[in-house]
Order: sequence, then C-alpha cells, then structure tokens
Amino acid sequence: MESLDLHSEFILEQYREALPVVSRLKEIVLSTLRDAINKNGLIVTAIDARVKTEQSLAGKLALKGQKYHDLSDITDILGARIITFYTDDVDRIAAMAEQLFDIDWDNSVDKRRLHQLDSFGYNSLHYICRLPESLYRDPEQPQLNRIRFELQLRTTLQHAWAAINHDTGYKSGVEIPREYMRQMNRLAGMLELADDEFSRIRTELNDYRRRVQQLVQNGKLDDVMLDGDAFRSYLQARPLDKLNKRIAAINQAEIQEVSLVHYLSILCDLGCKTLGDVNRLITDNTEDAYRLARHQLGNTDLDIISSAVGLQNVCIVSILKQGEGKKGLVRMFDALNGQTPQNELLADLTYTQAAALPFMKEHN
Amino acid sequence: MTTQIQENGNQIIATMSGRLDTAAAIPTTEAVKPLLEASNKQIILDCEKLEYISSSGLRIFLSIRKEAAAHSSKVIVRNINADIRQVFVMTGFISLFEIQ
Repeated sequence: MESLDLHSEFILEQYREALPVVSRLKEIVLSTLRDAINKNGLIVTAIDARVKTEQSLAGKLALKGQKYHDLSDITDILGARIITFYTDDVDRIAAMAEQLFDIDWDNSVDKRRLHQLDSFGYNSLHYICRLPESLYRDPEQPQLNRIRFELQLRTTLQHAWAAINHDTGYKSGVEIPREYMRQMNRLAGMLELADDEFSRIRTELNDYRRRVQQLVQNGKLDDVMLDGDAFRSYLQARPLDKLNKRIAAINQAEIQEVSLVHYLSILCDLGCKTLGDVNRLITDNTEDAYRLARHQLGNTDLDIISSAVGLQNVCIVSILKQGEGKKGLVRMFDALNGQTPQNELLADLTYTQAAALPFMKEHN
Repeated sequence: MTTQIQENGNQIIATMSGRLDTAAAIPTTEAVKPLLEASNKQIILDCEKLEYISSSGLRIFLSIRKEAAAHSSKVIVRNINADIRQVFVMTGFISLFEIQ
C-alpha cells in the first residue's frame, strides 16, 4: 500500500471506526431494497452491496485525498447496486428508491442523460442516499441516518458493458487508446438500442396479452390465434372443470391440479388454429371423453386423478375420430412423455379400450 | 414391497419391488423419506420390479415429485411396466413425470 499523508491517514482512521456501523447500514439497505422490490412485483437480475475495502479507499485517497474534508465527503464507502432486465425497470426502481431514501440530489447523477447527442458510453443511474429515520432509527447508532451511500441502477446490458470496460484497467476516458474507445462506444450504442428494443418488445407483449384476455373474457374465441399466451388465458376460465369433475365422480376421486400447457402442441396437431377451434374440440368430444374415462377407470379403485385427464381424453377421442388411429395416439404420447418405445404399447392399450366405445363404431 | 435407496454422487436411486398397494403405502412412505429431503439431486425411481401401483402409491410418487420441486431436485421414473404406465395414463399423470 502507498504511504499516505497525515490528512488521508486521518480519513482512513475515521473509516476504521465507522466500519461496524457501515456494515450494519449495508444489511439494512439490502433488506429494505429486497423487500420493496418483492412488494412491487419487480424481477431483477441482481441486488448486491459492498463496503469499500480499506485498500480501495487508500488508493482513492492517494489519488485525490485532498478533495475530501473528512470521511463524510466520500459517498461510496457503502455502495449498493441493482441490475434490472429492462430500462423501464431502472426508472421504476429509481422512483421506489426516491420514496424509500433521502436523496442527495446535488450529488446524484443520471449518467444516461449526460451523453451528447452523438456519444455513447457508460449508462447508469447513481443516487446518493441517506437512510431516513422514518424508515429505520437506532438511538444507539444515529450515524446510520447520517452516512451517505451510493445506489447504482442499471440494466444487465449496461452492466455487462461497464464491467468489461472496467476490466480493461483504464480509469478514465482520456487514458484509453482512441481506436479502442471508438469500438467500446460503438458497442455501447448497440447495447442501448438493444435495451430499448427489449423494453419495446415487453410492452408490446403485455399489450398483446391484455388484448387476448379481453377477447377471451368477451367470448370472442374465434378472434384469438392459438399460442401459449392465448391458451393460458383460455385455461384461466377453467373450461375443463366440469368434465374433470364428472370423471372424478366415477371413483369419488380427488383431483390434483397439474399444468396443461403440454397439450398446446397436440391441439395444434389436431388442427386447432384459434381458441374457438379448441373450444369446439372440447365441446364436441366431451361426452365421448367422459365415456372413455368411465370405461378405463370404472373397473379400478383409482381415487386420484390429475386435472389433465379431461383434456387428455378429449385429445384421444379427437385423434381417433379423425382417423389417426394408433399412430396418432403414439404421437400424442410422444408429445406428452417424450419418445419411448413403450408409447406404442400404450397406444395399443388405449386404442383397444376406446374400440369398445360407441364413437369408434360410428367412425369406423 | 421393498424400497432400497442408494446414493450415487448427484443421483439417488430408489429401487422399488413388489406391489405398492394401500398396505404397502405406510412402510413405503417411511422408506422414501430420504428422497423428500434431497436437495439438488436427480431422484430416480427404478420400478423394474414394481408389479402394481394403487392410488396410495400414486400419492407417494406425487409427494416425492412435489418435495423434489421444492428442493430443486428432479424425479425420473424408470422401467415401469405397461400396466403401471397405463395407470399413469388413465389418471392423467403421464405428462407430470419424466418417464424413461
């Protein structure tokens, strides 16, 4: 470690004395941020915090120790960082931080707004904060509310750029070879564009989901193309509950809730293009699906079924009515359970059971 | 009905033999307890010698799967015979387990 002048040594001594309270502040800030982010339903890539090491502080003091009157002038002894997926979330978390902490606006900086029209580079929002007494107060440690700390907010892509740029070892833009700086700035511009695109795509997807939900709620199922989001929205109306309850009643069985998303590809294979097609497929085959379940379960004492059994039987009946036969059933079991030779055997068994039912006789 | 549990690195293999019916459910629930506590493991239920499964047996499989999901473990059901596979189909649980 470089030898420091007396003034810097004095600040270093203040740092050593403050270390326990700064460490406590770190835990309070971290748990406050985590709670608030969870409460607001936000998903972030990372939340972390660090207390500046003595070595790092000594290095800073060696470079510009005279700039600081005492330790309280150094605002990043404690640094917290939140990395988000989307640029919009940086602004949402910034608003959240403004509610939680006292912000030192004179020393806070939004690096995103500092760039010239034709320049790109480090993008991050830095707030200098204090813990307000209204949020946390300990009469034994009033310094908890006096020490300033830095909160950095940035997206994952901004963080990747900053981390790689930092890894080069250059501390300032002036030191960087010009060609290298140009290449890094070019990348910063590209990542900024990518960040904006990710946010735009998320907004459009959310709009699409809302539109789909609205159409499902209004019963306009033929207007909704069948895809994962549409299928999930449709399932929220629990269109198979009635059939599952009838099947459960065969053996007074309990129904275990399971996901039905595996059936999306099977429904597409069956020619469903819209939610209206899915709804008709269910309605048209419900009675035969129930008969198949009764035929299979009636001679057993199985008193537990999954909530997938209704849709599974609807698909089996539909496959057989379409004349797809055992091959169609094998494809269905392959889709549900992965490709395995035993699916042939299952298809055989299922086909044999279904063959005794009236719908098979009508379609043969 | 017997259940033998063997730990092999990241895998826990439960080898089940006999008839997993209502009478066998209580000792089997006791025997599979180590599976319910396994964290970040691949749990293999080897059913090559499992002859029959009742609703009580299905419930044991479901509780193993539920606990495995809660402990970031994964359940693979291996070598089930055609009758048991048919039980998984009839009850609609075929897509819930990875069956090899």
